[in-house]
Amino acid sequence: MKADSVRGHLDALLLAALEGGPLHGYAIITAVEERSGGALELRKGTVYPALNRLERLGLLRSSWEATGERRRRRYALTDAGRRALTDERTAWREFTLAIGSVLNPFPTP
Amino acid sequence: MTLPRADAPSSTVGEYVRELESALHGPQRVRARLVEEIQGGLEEAVAELAEEGWAVRDAEREAVRRFGPVAEVAAACQRELTVAQARHTAWAVALAVPVPLACWAPLWEGTAARLLALPFAAVAAGAALLAVAVLAATGGLARRLPAPGALPRAMAWTGTAASVALALGTAASCLAALRGIDGPLLALAVTTALAGHGAVAASARACRACLRLAS
Repeated sequence: MKADSVRGHLDALLLAALEGGPLHGYAIITAVEERSGGALELRKGTVYPALNRLERLGLLRSSWEATGERRRRRYALTDAGRRALTDERTAWREFTLAIGSVLNPFPTP
Repeated sequence: MTLPRADAPSSTVGEYVRELESALHGPQRVRARLVEEIQGGLEEAVAELAEEGWAVRDAEREAVRRFGPVAEVAAACQRELTVAQARHTAWAVALAVPVPLACWAPLWEGTAARLLALPFAAVAAGAALLAVAVLAATGGLARRLPAPGALPRAMAWTGTAASVALALGTAASCLAALRGIDGPLLALAVTTALAGHGAVAASARACRACLRLAS
């Protein structure tokens, strides 16, 4: 699935990737792609500004973590981020239910 | 295997990062953070591909391809930087206006003085209120109320109006105070207004530059 198809759902995917605990930016990208079994392909460069935006909205918090010569920004969900993830899940279930009932009006017995 | 550092002159990743950095405009701290994170991510991607057996040069090209064209990544970063610059301008206005405004009123002796200075005080106060609203709308409140896309533009021009109002309001207050000058109060009003004028005008100018890149 190409990056364009993911665009509207990026926030929810990033929040879900962090549900298990804090991760740095590249590990978040890897987690999303691995959890989708490689079906989702993120435009990796655009994930970093998206993480910055989620932090500005108070859904994530972050801090620098030293790794060798470099340092990496490590992100974690805030309480508001956990609530937002729950809302995203509910909205997604309602959306897929509505689309499913149109695409498959006569479920096979 | 030794990987070339992204800041090496001939590195594909280095060229990508330099091109990205030169395409961005906005608060230095946010810009540096985004670029550093993207550079770190690219280096991790190259290392990962190299471990899978890719030749280093090919791994760099593939990592850059997977991160997306510079123009697309720069546009996503610039949207965030424009909001960050608008928030910077909002903070500048919210912090710069109150002290000069509090100093002006006691300096206005007589109706003519008030009529001269009041419009500038009203503009500065209105700008400060809008600045607080922008800070709320682009921060935590944005989760509940989607911030209008025109907010950074509104904040850029509000900042410009506030900086002009601070300068002219202080000039008007100086004229008004000529009859019975309160030295220390006037000095405080002039100093804080000039400092505020400079900070707000520079931030509003940077905000307009961000908007030109983001559009």
